[in-house]
Amino acid sequence: MDRQVDVVVVGGGSTGCGVVRDLARRGLDTVLVEKGNLTHGTTGRMHGLLHSGGRYAVSDRKSAKECIEENMVLRDIAAHCVEETGGLFVKRPEDSEEYFQEKLEGCKACDIPVEVIDGEEARRREPYLARDVEKAIALPDGAVDPFRLCVSNAADAREHGARIETHAPVTDVLVEDGEVVGVEIEHETGPGKRVHREPGTTEEIRSRHVVNATGAWAGNVGEMAGVDVEVRPSKGVMTVMNTRQVDTVINRCRPKGDADIIVPHETACILGTTDEEVDDPEDYPEEDWEVDLMIETLSELVPALEDARTLRSFWGVRPLYEPPGTGTEDPTDITRDYFLLDHGDRDDLPGMTTIVGGKLTTYRMMAESISDHVCETLDHEATCDTADAPLPGSESEARMEELMDEFGLRSPVARRSGQRLGSRADDVLDEYDPNPIVCNCESVTRAEVQDAVGEAGSDLNAVRLRTRASMGNCQGGFCTHRIASELAEEYPEPVVRDAEDELYQERWKGQRHALWGEQLSQAMLNHMLHATTMNRDGDPANLDDEVDFGAFDAGADDGAADADGAGSAGTAATDGGRANDDAAADGDRANDDAAADGGR
Amino acid sequence: MTRHTEDDGDAGDADGTTEPNGGRDGARGGGGCGDCGCGSPTPGVPEAGRDEQPSIFVPDEGEVPDSEAATAGGADRGADRAATDGGVESASSGTDSATGGTDSTELDPDAYDPVDVFPGGDLDLREGADSCYKCTSCDTSCPVAEVDDEFPGPKFQGPEQWRLKRKDDHDIDESITSCSNCMRCDDACPSSVPLSQMHNEARGQFVERQMEKLSVEYIRNRILANYRTSASLASMFPRTASFAMNFGPARWAMEKVMGIPKERDFPEFATETFREWWKARGGAQVENPDKRVAYFHGCYSNYNTPEVGKAMVRVYEHFGYEVMVPPQKCSGTPMFANGMLKDARRHAETNVENLVEAIGEGADVIASCTSCSMSLRQEYPELFDLHGIEDVAEHTFEALEYLRIHEDLEGELDAAGGLDDERAFAYHAPCHARNQGLSRQAVETFRDVDGVRMEDVGDSCSGISGTYGWKEEKYEKSMEIGAEMFEHMEDAEGEVGMTECPTCAMQMEHGTGYEIEHPLQLLEDTLGA
Repeated sequence: MDRQVDVVVVGGGSTGCGVVRDLARRGLDTVLVEKGNLTHGTTGRMHGLLHSGGRYAVSDRKSAKECIEENMVLRDIAAHCVEETGGLFVKRPEDSEEYFQEKLEGCKACDIPVEVIDGEEARRREPYLARDVEKAIALPDGAVDPFRLCVSNAADAREHGARIETHAPVTDVLVEDGEVVGVEIEHETGPGKRVHREPGTTEEIRSRHVVNATGAWAGNVGEMAGVDVEVRPSKGVMTVMNTRQVDTVINRCRPKGDADIIVPHETACILGTTDEEVDDPEDYPEEDWEVDLMIETLSELVPALEDARTLRSFWGVRPLYEPPGTGTEDPTDITRDYFLLDHGDRDDLPGMTTIVGGKLTTYRMMAESISDHVCETLDHEATCDTADAPLPGSESEARMEELMDEFGLRSPVARRSGQRLGSRADDVLDEYDPNPIVCNCESVTRAEVQDAVGEAGSDLNAVRLRTRASMGNCQGGFCTHRIASELAEEYPEPVVRDAEDELYQERWKGQRHALWGEQLSQAMLNHMLHATTMNRDGDPANLDDEVDFGAFDAGADDGAADADGAGSAGTAATDGGRANDDAAADGDRANDDAAADGGR
Repeated sequence: MTRHTEDDGDAGDADGTTEPNGGRDGARGGGGCGDCGCGSPTPGVPEAGRDEQPSIFVPDEGEVPDSEAATAGGADRGADRAATDGGVESASSGTDSATGGTDSTELDPDAYDPVDVFPGGDLDLREGADSCYKCTSCDTSCPVAEVDDEFPGPKFQGPEQWRLKRKDDHDIDESITSCSNCMRCDDACPSSVPLSQMHNEARGQFVERQMEKLSVEYIRNRILANYRTSASLASMFPRTASFAMNFGPARWAMEKVMGIPKERDFPEFATETFREWWKARGGAQVENPDKRVAYFHGCYSNYNTPEVGKAMVRVYEHFGYEVMVPPQKCSGTPMFANGMLKDARRHAETNVENLVEAIGEGADVIASCTSCSMSLRQEYPELFDLHGIEDVAEHTFEALEYLRIHEDLEGELDAAGGLDDERAFAYHAPCHARNQGLSRQAVETFRDVDGVRMEDVGDSCSGISGTYGWKEEKYEKSMEIGAEMFEHMEDAEGEVGMTECPTCAMQMEHGTGYEIEHPLQLLEDTLGA
């Protein structure tokens, strides 16, 4: 119980996952704790841009150089998380020519390979671009799947002996004799995989060092240790389109501003974003005007967006940080650089280091630098190999032909599975035969869902992040129950129900900001189907108390017939045959069947 | 849960789903005409109507001139024969019309349409997936999915497959070749997803890029798709051809070598084609600049059942129409179904050019085959960008449909007094008629006519779907789909079948042994035309 580990990393975003992988590969005994799922905080709420550095080439060349370096590294070590889409900075007639040239010079100065193309060529590459786009700078932007990236980092860390605990919020930072000696965490459903309805426990993890990689939440963890970390959280909205209007990252070439990027991400396009400082990273307004702004402004670049279907919108909070006293007014002017705060040096509280700022593209570099620091502090000698060692899944490309022939997958399904699983595809798909498609919109098969369940327990949102199941245009309407039923062999019915509800609610949450046009129709259809085929608008099995069927029953005189269930066909029909009180009380499906038979 | 609350839920939900739909359509329509006034069509995204589709299929450079040269050569050889066999070849050769569609990339910027710049002329139809709610109405209406467990259904072939595509993805799943192109999914979709357009484009891409061009399957499909070519050859020696094509050992060999099921009987070739008859007759016998129709007879009425064409001419002349018979080639239906978009486009160039000319002379276009009218009306503007193709689509009607719109058919039939000897028919509505809203027209037209008993044999698909049932590997499925129709035909009182579609007629005859007529033939009889 009192075993001491080397390092506890707090925060399961890209930085935390990168750090735990790096430290584990260097041979340190490491634990990652995350209060939600991996990527729960900021990482899971970004537009998935793999920066070429172009966006910072004018304002922040240090970041730009780091971006292009790491961009190239990730293409190698995380190939199955990256789509090499390429990117364009497009100039409209009203955008400044001067800035265009500045951007171009900046890119060249940062060694970002660029090419200037005219409007016609830009439209040849991306036919939906506006006709009045004058010219563009083409550069190696890409798309990265942050979920897959984090999960792969965590999986590699685990293979190297690390322990990963999700749904385990830190409740206290242990300080003894003026030194941080560990953290206290609360396992929401006990340690290990998350399984709904299992009782929570608390655990003290003692460690030689604590890494606070909680981004926008770094201040909260700092507070528990009694130190000030002045993070300036800044929110940004992202809107998800149903299809890919563009296959290239499209940036607006102008100094700064909201709504200036479109990232093709898997089957969708993500529009971004805004930059507005908020007080609390947990609680800030999500406003419709932000979504409207995305669509309106970006339609200037891609007019088709105006009438295209939106699936949902989400907000993320940037963990911006600047050293005390800088006093930048506008959050867009705050540097995107990262800062490593050793609380021993800074606050005379040894045993903890905080990392803030930075961006996903450079997560590995940040992880390397903090791992170097931790190793130095702990006097541990080991070299970093994360820039060369591929992540699990990126060792080689999936063999598409084999996926189709050997596993009988149709070509688009094989294509998607191969892209998601990378070199793991063979192993994962080999497990199940037959292997039907569980989520049609994203072509996710049972084998892939089961593989994710194996890692994530009954947490279907974690399954979703690993597989993209339920992230397509029906937003779970046609598949949450199918995904949930994949849990049924291993978990009891109430757990499956909770898991299903949680996933469905999560899907609904984002759709609230897209309720017009097609997605409104989709939401209504989903609701109707779930209500009329699964009773999900008020399922007695989900109620805590016994159901008072008498209260619903119009034929009060036939109360006796109700009780024996066989008295009158009319009554049976009225209450749906659920005469048996026991059945209602324990919510057991087997009894429902019995009751239904009795009623007929 | 009690029945009481369930009912409430149902009612509420039902309202809920219709309302947003209505609202959405309304909003779309409003948005379309209201916004920015540029009037450009939304690329790739069909509006509720189907006639403003962007065009997609542009053949690769180089191929068209080849075939054009070949056609032109044919025309030179038989300048006078042209008049008898359709006269098609001469009309389009020598001009630049055959490539008329390919210059679309140089249209003026206001009409700039992103789809034109895709390599090879392919259309990016990912946007069409926006309208799909995954409701699965298309899958449940698909006759192939019903009998073929391996076939993933129209939803997968259409919106799902397209949405999963990326620009550089070029592989199309092979199962697209199992789609029979009956287009029932178009009709079933509550949300105007351009299903058949997606299928046609995907199938075209599959055949173009993934199908082995020397494979038996490709060659067989190409021959089936180009029925007109075979038929025009066979018509030179109709009796010999009719015999040879159905000669036992020949059929055995055809199945073994070509994959054409020996169970099928090839249709007989007429000893005098419709166009030969038309020429011998001296063309139109009614002249009327105010009531003109251009007859698109299609291949089958010309080569196999000229009696249908003759009935059309007599009935229309009875009503005082001047009938024109412009030069024409295949409507493209069998080519679409086999992914032979280049062939279809070549034929479309001739058809559109000649029909546009006829429309210019005041004519509407009348087809007696419902697949031909379907093709001219829907597939042409969806797939090709040819000058005037939208006009052709707008001016095309099915023969009976047109009369029911413009003439007092009921009154005329009443006045004619019906048939002396009662006749009973088992009527099957072709899927392509269903898509045009014509599935009840024959029954409604004849139900009050004395001496005619017309029974609808139900809404199932006949199963042949043009060339689908002519493939050995599809034959069993085809007959399984048709089983319901056969059964209903047997149950019907009539011993004569009736339908507008030539291949449905083949299937009906094949499954029941009945003689099959076209409604125009009955109309000719009952009107005494």
